[in-house]
Amino acid sequence: MDPMLFIAGIILSSIIATIIAVLYSLVLPGIERKLQARVQQRIGPPVLTPGWWAVLKFWYKGKAEPIAQMPLFYKSLIWLGITIVLLLFLFSTPYWWVVLGWGSVLGIAGFLKLEEVLYVLMGSQSQSILTTSMPINDLVKGAKIKGILREFVEQHSAERALKMMAIGSLPLYIALLVPFVAARSGMISDVIRVQNPVYFASSWFSLPLPSNPVILTVPGFLAAVVYFVGYLILLNERPFNILKAKIDVIEGGVLEYASKLRAGYYLMRNLLLFALSSIFVTLFIGIPFDPFMPLCLILNMILSLILPIAMAILVAFSPILTFRQIYPATVGLSALGVLALILSVSL
Amino acid sequence: MTERSKDVVVEKELSFGPVHPALIEPFRIRLFVNDEIVEDCELTINMAHRGVERLLEGLPVERALLITERVCGICSNVHAWNSVRVIESGLNIKVPERANYIRVLINEVQRIASHLIFFGHAFEVLGHETFSMRSFLLREVFMDLMAYIGGNRVMPSVPVIGGIRPRADLTESLKRVILERVDDFEKKYLEFVQRVLADPLVMSRLTGVGLLSKDEAIKYHATGPTGRSSGWDYDVRRMMYEYKPFDFNVIVLTEGDNKARVVQRALEVIESLKIIRQVVKNLPEGPIVNRDWVPGKMDFTTMYFETFRGELMHSYGLDSQGLIRNYKIRTPTPTNLAAMEKACIGDHVTDAVLTIASCDPCLTCCNRVEVIESGKTRIMSDIEIVRKYGWRR
Repeated sequence: MDPMLFIAGIILSSIIATIIAVLYSLVLPGIERKLQARVQQRIGPPVLTPGWWAVLKFWYKGKAEPIAQMPLFYKSLIWLGITIVLLLFLFSTPYWWVVLGWGSVLGIAGFLKLEEVLYVLMGSQSQSILTTSMPINDLVKGAKIKGILREFVEQHSAERALKMMAIGSLPLYIALLVPFVAARSGMISDVIRVQNPVYFASSWFSLPLPSNPVILTVPGFLAAVVYFVGYLILLNERPFNILKAKIDVIEGGVLEYASKLRAGYYLMRNLLLFALSSIFVTLFIGIPFDPFMPLCLILNMILSLILPIAMAILVAFSPILTFRQIYPATVGLSALGVLALILSVSL
Repeated sequence: MTERSKDVVVEKELSFGPVHPALIEPFRIRLFVNDEIVEDCELTINMAHRGVERLLEGLPVERALLITERVCGICSNVHAWNSVRVIESGLNIKVPERANYIRVLINEVQRIASHLIFFGHAFEVLGHETFSMRSFLLREVFMDLMAYIGGNRVMPSVPVIGGIRPRADLTESLKRVILERVDDFEKKYLEFVQRVLADPLVMSRLTGVGLLSKDEAIKYHATGPTGRSSGWDYDVRRMMYEYKPFDFNVIVLTEGDNKARVVQRALEVIESLKIIRQVVKNLPEGPIVNRDWVPGKMDFTTMYFETFRGELMHSYGLDSQGLIRNYKIRTPTPTNLAAMEKACIGDHVTDAVLTIASCDPCLTCCNRVEVIESGKTRIMSDIEIVRKYGWRR
């Protein structure tokens, strides 16, 4: 392909993909909240409120300076997070597959890991007044135990984020490997080639359906289940939201984000919700998010609802788990992922 | 890092409150932790001193009800009833039997509403929104019943000195409504409790967490459901003549963990339903209030009562003009929280907050103690006193 044409294509596809992803991702939390509400016999908020209107509202709210050790760095983490998630998503779209070779399992895993590190950095920076620095007379009265570190709850959340990075998200990465092992390649393009061979020969208006999606195989199905749980862990959703458990660490590292920064956080979180769902459809069903194939793109978007819907139902029925339960759960899921990985060798 | 003993290493302190989104009422929690494990805990609850006792000083006794009922929003009837029990005992005022039955009825209705608030709050702390909202939905039955009986969902204002207010008398149609609503509630409630107990995720969070032994419960005087779920068979209702006509079981569990504290209350709701049915079916005919009394000098009289969280004390005297002198109220929360300071040791941080919530603390009605130490007056919270001097009646 002519390099200029390729660059023009990649710019155009990026613009289309970004606009559609941002607009669509802002609808997903509304669907999620509405479903949860129906499970709880409530009416729930209008579908556009938790995504669209919340972001717009916070965008135009009065500026509130966060209390952080390095405020500028703390504020920049949000925009860094949006960039990381956006790149994660773009590298899963066809035009980006060949760029730097990052349209691969390594690219996806790398961006996801960076995203996880953000929570550690945010937590270690934020210093909300709701905890240690609250002006209250407990030290004047006499500390029960003296001379020890008084930690902000956000810092405690950062420690939890570190633990989740080390073990919590392991199942997702194992599950992520299964479609690639089945395709005997590390590249997304090869995964699609194995599952949906007609995709590469299709015209822009056609709808190439996958002939052998990996999700319909035993290892693929097991990996999809493990991916789903890893998806909850990465999104910090119940039952795995220990790093932003309202009852102790409140919101964790993102506690101090207000106004535009809060809107940015919602954008980042919603975009991650959609990006992970879209990657699931691409890798496990074989239908990529192709900005130049409208039907394929729409089908990817529709199927991307599977995970948010399943998550909304599970979240409605789950308490927060502590590390007492999270460790055995992740070990068990990792074992399931490894089993899927071994079985996928035979595909 | 500071070493306290050979075995216990305290790495850091985590503190939150009194302003915190998860704390419904203001109190400060300081957790001394090693990684995620709580090694020690300190609760400070002296944040909502409302001066209720001072407001009551010098009031005509008939007007005291206006304030005592407002000591607490969840157990309003309990404070109103125990307040009038003091003067009824002190001046030997005989209360008609029908009035006593209706007082018991409204008390048990409010007990169920209170326990369902506890479930709602406990499940919210647990992070289970659906169970929490279901609890509040079930509670609506009893809020409605309070409104039907007393005319108000939160402050039914049923007891008056010598009986009950005329508007709280039960008509035949109201008796029928109560039985219907209670029957309907019981079916839904049993389904709900079975679902909760069968939920493995919820049970894994509750079981074996926040252990409080019977000895510790007695030592810190953790009364009510908190003590009874640790094996301490103590319920003031057994000693109250108002409850003599009714057949009910005092639920005592021995496990002493958070699960026991939830299950104990769940079973206690069923016993309360039994009492409500007995009241409605066996309600005697007769007057509902005895007006044959005159306020006058009364020695200091103390009455104990089994409120929904434990033992409640009201104590006061009247001067020769019938004005209140030295009103003292002690609610069960300070002693229960003192026990929870111990119970949460060894828990994970997230579990520790659940353990503290599992004694169903009610904070705005328990901060009112003034202590004179070495000639200097100092306000101390009840929990500080229990910690410093131990509990004694």
